[in-house]
Amino acid sequence: MGVYILGIESSCDDTSAAVIYDRKVLANLIANQDIHKNYGGVVPELASRAHQQNIVPVIDKALRDANIHKNQLHAIAFTNGPGLLGSLLVGASFAKSFSLALNIPLIEVNHMHAHILSLFIEDEQHKKAPDFPFLCLTVSGGHTQIVLVKDFFDMTVIGQTIDDAAGEAFDKAAKIMGLPYPGGPLIDKYAQEGNAKAFRFPHPVVPGLDYSFSGLKTSILYFLRDQLASDPIFIENNKNDLSASIQKTIVDVLMKQLKKAARQTGIRRIAIAGGVSANSGLRKALLHEEERGNWDVYIPKFAYCTDNAAMIAIAGYYKYLRNDFTDQQVVPFTRYK
Amino acid sequence: MDMLKETEVFAKVSAVEEYKELSDKLIEAFQNVRVFALYGSMGVGKTTLIKYLCSTLGVADIVSSPTFPIVNEYVTTNRESIYHFDFYRIKKIEEVYDLGYEEYLYSGNYCFIEWPEKLEALLPEGCVRIYMEDVGGERIIRV
Repeated sequence: MGVYILGIESSCDDTSAAVIYDRKVLANLIANQDIHKNYGGVVPELASRAHQQNIVPVIDKALRDANIHKNQLHAIAFTNGPGLLGSLLVGASFAKSFSLALNIPLIEVNHMHAHILSLFIEDEQHKKAPDFPFLCLTVSGGHTQIVLVKDFFDMTVIGQTIDDAAGEAFDKAAKIMGLPYPGGPLIDKYAQEGNAKAFRFPHPVVPGLDYSFSGLKTSILYFLRDQLASDPIFIENNKNDLSASIQKTIVDVLMKQLKKAARQTGIRRIAIAGGVSANSGLRKALLHEEERGNWDVYIPKFAYCTDNAAMIAIAGYYKYLRNDFTDQQVVPFTRYK
Repeated sequence: MDMLKETEVFAKVSAVEEYKELSDKLIEAFQNVRVFALYGSMGVGKTTLIKYLCSTLGVADIVSSPTFPIVNEYVTTNRESIYHFDFYRIKKIEEVYDLGYEEYLYSGNYCFIEWPEKLEALLPEGCVRIYMEDVGGERIIRV
């Protein structure tokens, strides 16, 4: 007899809900206009903020897609931070009320832990989950961290960005090139056709295992300003080479510290998580290390890389197995740590 | 930039170490102000200046860019919260309302705001506007 967990994620822009049965995902949804349309009912006017408008329809749809009744749920897991306080409160309040109404346990989940635990979601194509300990590079628009993972809930950040996140470096480089925000995926696309050695950008010098990407942004800015002064269509003519060179620089920087972390800890099981793990250059660089026999590499399915509720549900599942529940007094937190 | 006419050059910074002195001077000069809006193009050094302002105020946390999360919260050694905003990726003013901006900007805590152009009409009265400009590699700071 397995366990049904409802996961709720509302730490930033999107309201998401997921239902899992043990480690298998039955439904994983992000609120959008279609969900509102199909919900049918009028959303109460008092729902002034986006998450408040989204939360009931998206959970209703997740339960229907999973084809279960709410009374079958064993527990409710929700993101308790870090994130925007207003957004977190909507998810937390709903989760508390729903657990009280259904009389089932309430589980609080750390968003950053959940990104890493998304590696344990069971999937037809992704059966391989890492053994402990392993290193996880969590890279997204808002985060860049190397995490030493000793157990499901024993995680230590051993390196992190001291300024911009890697995803932000992609997006801002794209912006400087005149691409729309968020332009990270476009850089990846153009990079496929470009020469990564066409232009060289400096690597940051950061002690330990930390990262810095703010200097790269500035050097791209100055480089393009100087080029545009003599050639107004420089970016258009070199879009692919620029994208490939920028992507290579960011990936090289990410890999350099990750390799250092692997050397220092002696750990060869390496995972990635977060939105930037969709980047083809980063995936290639990691798989290259695996082909060379240096590392065992673990990459979650794309749907579980960006912010999603399935990762909250799987984290909830592991807490459920440990009877690690919370009570109605729990308060969301905004800061990491 | 018409706004520059009403402002005065507060400092010129040519090396990153000089931000420390500038931060001390800014906090000292505007002791009663809690909301600071920082204007300037990408890469001009807004986040860097805020790093130093936070350090002046006793923040030991890593001060990183909040472009994606929109707001970062730091805690000083006196256990006071400081809010660091970045409205770069905001498209509509409604998103600022969704954020519950009033709870931050009127909290009485220090607030440092990057890309304040996005919510000009919502900035509290009496907030200090800092303009940063790159002139031949030197940063001109106007207030």
